Amino acid sequence: MQVTAIRYRGFSLLAVCLLAPLAVADDAGTEAGEAFFEQRIRPLLVEHCYACHSGRAQKQKGGLRLDLKSTLRRGGESGPAIVPGRPEQSLLISAVRHESLKMPPKRKLPARAIADLVQWIEMGAPDPREGTGGSSSDSATADGRQHWAFQRVAPPDRPSVREAAWPRAALDYFILARLEQAGLHPVQDADRYTWLRRVTFDLTGLAPTVAEIRAFQQDTSPQAWDAVVDRLLATPAYGQRWARHWLDLVGYADQIGTSNNVFAEHAWRYRDYVIEALNADKSYAQFVREQIAGDLLTQDLPVERAAGITATGFLVLGDLEIVEADKAKLRVDIVDQQLVKVSRAFLGLTVGCARCHDHKFDPISQRDYYAIAGVFHSSRSVFKTARGVWSDVLVRELPETTFQQAVRAERTQRHQERLDALKAERTKAEQQQAQLEAQAKPPTEKPADDQVAARKKQIDQLASKIGQLNRTINHAEFFAPAAPRVYGVEDVDQPADMQITIRGNPRALGDTVPRGFLHAATTVSPTIPAGASGRGELASWIASRENPLTARVAVNRIWQKLFGRGLVHSIDNFGVRGGKPSHPGLLDYLADQFASNGWSQKRLVRTLTLSRTYRMSSAHSPIGHREDPENHLVWRMNRTRLDAESLRDALLLVTGQLHRISGGSAIPLEYMENVANIDPSNVNPPSFSLSKWRPEQPFVRTIYLPVIRSSSQPGPAELRNVFDFPNPSEFTGRRVTTAVPTQALFLMNSPVLKKHAALLATRLKADTDDGTKRLELLWLRVLNRPITLLEQTEAVAFLEAVGDNAWSELSHALFASNEFLMRL
Amino acid sequence: MNRVGLGRRQLLQSAACGFGGLALSGMMSDQARSASALAERMPHFPARAKRVIFLFIAGGPSQGDLFAPKEYITRHHGQEITSPVGDDGQIRVGVARFLPMAPVAPVRPRGEAGLMISDLLPNLAGVADELCMLRAMVSDNKAHAPASLQFHTGHIAEARPSMGAWISYGLGTQNENLPSFITIHPPSGPRSYGASFLPAIHQGTPLRVPGNDRDPAITNLRDPSADPQDQRKRLDFLQGVNQRLLDRVQTDSQMEGIIESFELAFRMQAEAPGLVDLARESPETLNLYGVGDGPSDRNGRACLLARRFSESGVRFVQVTMGGWDHHGDIAAALPNSCRGVDKPIAGLLRDLKQRGLLEETLVVWSGEFGRTYWSQDLSGKNPLIKHGREHQQESFCTLLAGGGIKPGFVHGETDDHGYQPIEGRVHLHDLHATLLHLMGIDHERLTYPHNGRDHRLTDVYGNIVEEILKAG
Repeated sequence: MQVTAIRYRGFSLLAVCLLAPLAVADDAGTEAGEAFFEQRIRPLLVEHCYACHSGRAQKQKGGLRLDLKSTLRRGGESGPAIVPGRPEQSLLISAVRHESLKMPPKRKLPARAIADLVQWIEMGAPDPREGTGGSSSDSATADGRQHWAFQRVAPPDRPSVREAAWPRAALDYFILARLEQAGLHPVQDADRYTWLRRVTFDLTGLAPTVAEIRAFQQDTSPQAWDAVVDRLLATPAYGQRWARHWLDLVGYADQIGTSNNVFAEHAWRYRDYVIEALNADKSYAQFVREQIAGDLLTQDLPVERAAGITATGFLVLGDLEIVEADKAKLRVDIVDQQLVKVSRAFLGLTVGCARCHDHKFDPISQRDYYAIAGVFHSSRSVFKTARGVWSDVLVRELPETTFQQAVRAERTQRHQERLDALKAERTKAEQQQAQLEAQAKPPTEKPADDQVAARKKQIDQLASKIGQLNRTINHAEFFAPAAPRVYGVEDVDQPADMQITIRGNPRALGDTVPRGFLHAATTVSPTIPAGASGRGELASWIASRENPLTARVAVNRIWQKLFGRGLVHSIDNFGVRGGKPSHPGLLDYLADQFASNGWSQKRLVRTLTLSRTYRMSSAHSPIGHREDPENHLVWRMNRTRLDAESLRDALLLVTGQLHRISGGSAIPLEYMENVANIDPSNVNPPSFSLSKWRPEQPFVRTIYLPVIRSSSQPGPAELRNVFDFPNPSEFTGRRVTTAVPTQALFLMNSPVLKKHAALLATRLKADTDDGTKRLELLWLRVLNRPITLLEQTEAVAFLEAVGDNAWSELSHALFASNEFLMRL
Repeated sequence: MNRVGLGRRQLLQSAACGFGGLALSGMMSDQARSASALAERMPHFPARAKRVIFLFIAGGPSQGDLFAPKEYITRHHGQEITSPVGDDGQIRVGVARFLPMAPVAPVRPRGEAGLMISDLLPNLAGVADELCMLRAMVSDNKAHAPASLQFHTGHIAEARPSMGAWISYGLGTQNENLPSFITIHPPSGPRSYGASFLPAIHQGTPLRVPGNDRDPAITNLRDPSADPQDQRKRLDFLQGVNQRLLDRVQTDSQMEGIIESFELAFRMQAEAPGLVDLARESPETLNLYGVGDGPSDRNGRACLLARRFSESGVRFVQVTMGGWDHHGDIAAALPNSCRGVDKPIAGLLRDLKQRGLLEETLVVWSGEFGRTYWSQDLSGKNPLIKHGREHQQESFCTLLAGGGIKPGFVHGETDDHGYQPIEGRVHLHDLHATLLHLMGIDHERLTYPHNGRDHRLTDVYGNIVEEILKAG
């Protein structure tokens, strides 16, 4: 028997009524009353209720405890158990009468017992039992404030080290000092080939080219490394790489929700916004502000205003269940998602738990949750469409520059001309059809059979032509030139504080909570102007040096992507249950520098990659391995496997097919065969398929390929399905890396790998006829290092043994090798 | 890193006979198995079932037409009734008036136990006494995607591990040459078979059954090379390159993991093609499943494959059979849908029974929800005969058979409108809890830490449905 009450129909309304009137005569407090309780009520509760609803129950069903006065009055998930003085409004009474909940579930109480409970509540429910039941969020917050992550960022002095020749950058002192403390040594530096491969993959998601490898080998100046990093940071490939890290935190996809293949026509603008922001090295603080409240920022230029509105796509480009028929529920679910996303991405906190109860481990109370939730509840994200039960994500138009307006005017004109021509053609066909049909119907004439057949054929052809024209016209009108549009949010007309929803049920409401921020991480109370949602204030609070979490979380994310492991191991959880920093001083030093340097991500990346720490090899050290096998103290570089994007992009690069520059919409909606349901009378929303691709799409960087929610990743993006591309409904700062047989089968047998291997073989043969030189080139291209003598011998033997396909098979073997799959 | 890993590497170094030789070495296999996340594990208590075959009838099969007719509905066929649906904030699409609609074909008591089964499922009716019918199933969402997700993972919206992944995680595999969780024709995306936060090795391996005997059922299972020796030579060469790198870095569990995955893949190459090759089955068996019989061919092949995988030790095999979303003209559409599954499913049950496998195989038959007993007409203009039925998650039917389940048993009843359970209500969470229980797993103890708390398939819910468990 399920005790959870929420499922029963008719219940929720009851709970709402129950919450209001508590101002009735409280406890009568008389001796007589307490005696009645002791004689009649307590034994009854002990016998029939305590097994499930008391401190001694294994867990309190429905969150309800009846063994203390306070908990009985507070009630459980269904609301307060009683309304003193009003038995008819008391949930307890309707439950024991089996009118709402059925309690006790197995057997109804004797009539006498029910009558006693009614009488007791009429008396005001006198109750001598004391105690609080142990749930007090205030004390939890007070304790939680001691947690390291809520302390102000406090950079210590640079530590001193014995091996003073080793450090190159300030951060190296922090690393070395800890190692020396533990009696460990950093391993030797990586060779130049390994370092170049590492930094090129880390910064751009691509392998170094043969030319780049040779240039770096020949550059003997001490600035050779700086030159490489500066070159990489200046390429568009940097933003294309790092934007994907950010999109992992957003739940980005080119599809809205998982139902019915609804395309997210404008989502790509947010993706391109992130790429541009990174390439332009937009201040991280501004990046944060724009994504929470970019639509509210006052900016002068149209492009800046457009960027601000586009950035709010962060809040709505998650997995939204737009087919949810219960719109109140949809709304609170979206608020929940926004809250979870914002707190995880920017603050490294799991606030979602507090939707239903105070956080079990972190100092985040349910009131904290609803304080922030009120901010998003005061913002509009979706609207109900005219189609069936469907909602859609809010679409906002962007301001245009005069140049953009001019371009659009021209496109509109061409569009109109095309449309006019199509419609004229349709009119003509319809007239012809009408004529033929009129001829077919004269009552007197009795034409020959072949005449009838010919006419019928003509009519059918015309009908099919008209159908085709209708589809073309519908498609053209649906995708008519328009001002650029994006998915985003806006404030509602009357922003307001939010009521607690019991277990997320929008019809079971609790107290109203004033909007605000996390108590544990702040001492200031925000002033939210009347008529504002509070998103602007929330954004300012997060994007501030005063916020103890923001800079630390950001710095740690970037560190993790470069070193394979965060200084705080739990990238997305800086809470009590998350990991402690391995180098707290270093984390604070970097966080402080980051904020001082204008929140420049490029500058931070440059500092990290040019450090001695980053230059270490990933080699083994017996002492290091014995003392610190997990490499917490960073005595060597961590090895990582290439992710799906790097793997595919590197394959394309190595075989000479990569289109380096792209952008724009991911799903080719301009092809009619990819679009359905655009007819507005359809009860389902417009949908897409991917039956036709643009000719260049197989060669663009993976970030520009469509991300699909409802099925596996399509077409050229199929590598994502095999190599741990995160589920686009999740927000994750660290991808899981797996080694499963489907990957091995893919690497062993897939036509994709075969094709790349064959292409590379062709390329090598075109490059040179000299077998030795070919081998050198092959190793440089795929493993980005020279071939060894032993490998040369083995490769020659292999080539002789295999025969016709030899170069293709050899290329294939290298593509499947651990050295290609991993960045060392 | 660990002793097992070192042992493995030494083995790798000492093996001179190359990749194929390694994979065939029994000693190697034992080593690999003990190191593997898929190693077989003991259940919490003795299991009633060792394997699950889950037949997912996607789209919302109509329980009123197939298994649970209502006298009240039949009596009021076509007569408007007052809404049995309260003000619960739910919009009912295409339901302007509540018109009860009698079953589209006769439904009769079958077998000794007298379970009600439609004439549309004559073969299933023949195995009625193996079935246990849950007639008051409840889930939480009335749209396909979330409801389907909940059926697979327990959760409506968030990505969570699928029940097959949970069982793989809890019990491991019984066959080191095959994945522990296979899903044939999975519904929509990988979320229905994903491992989510569980180790990825527990994720379901999706499978498409070809309609012929040429195409592979598992992607990339065969090497398209003209010369099969080429693959072998390539893998030997690859193995050498990998080995030297491993020697250079000394320890790397990830690299060893990749090498291990290549070994399982290589073993799958050897074992799986034989398993997925249906040409070896007798004509009687093929006929039993309806293979080669037009509408049931595809599902027949899928169910036959499911039996083969299950027999070979795969813990959780799912077969999805879609086409049950009958919003309109259910009278015409339902018979077709039934023809597609009747023989395959009845054939599977008979086959399992005659091979002595049914005792330890739990078969689950269910849609993500059912359909209303009253009609739906999206056009608003059709006569009743052309109407369909709307989704209904408030009460629907699930069938169980085999491992530890009471055969020929009916559990649960709904009200006259077939709208709300009046007794024997079983929520999805309860079904999940019961399923794990039959596999020897305590659903409250099968947990995995993620995002700061321990997660379960049943979240904070789930009660075992004791009434349907076979005694002993």
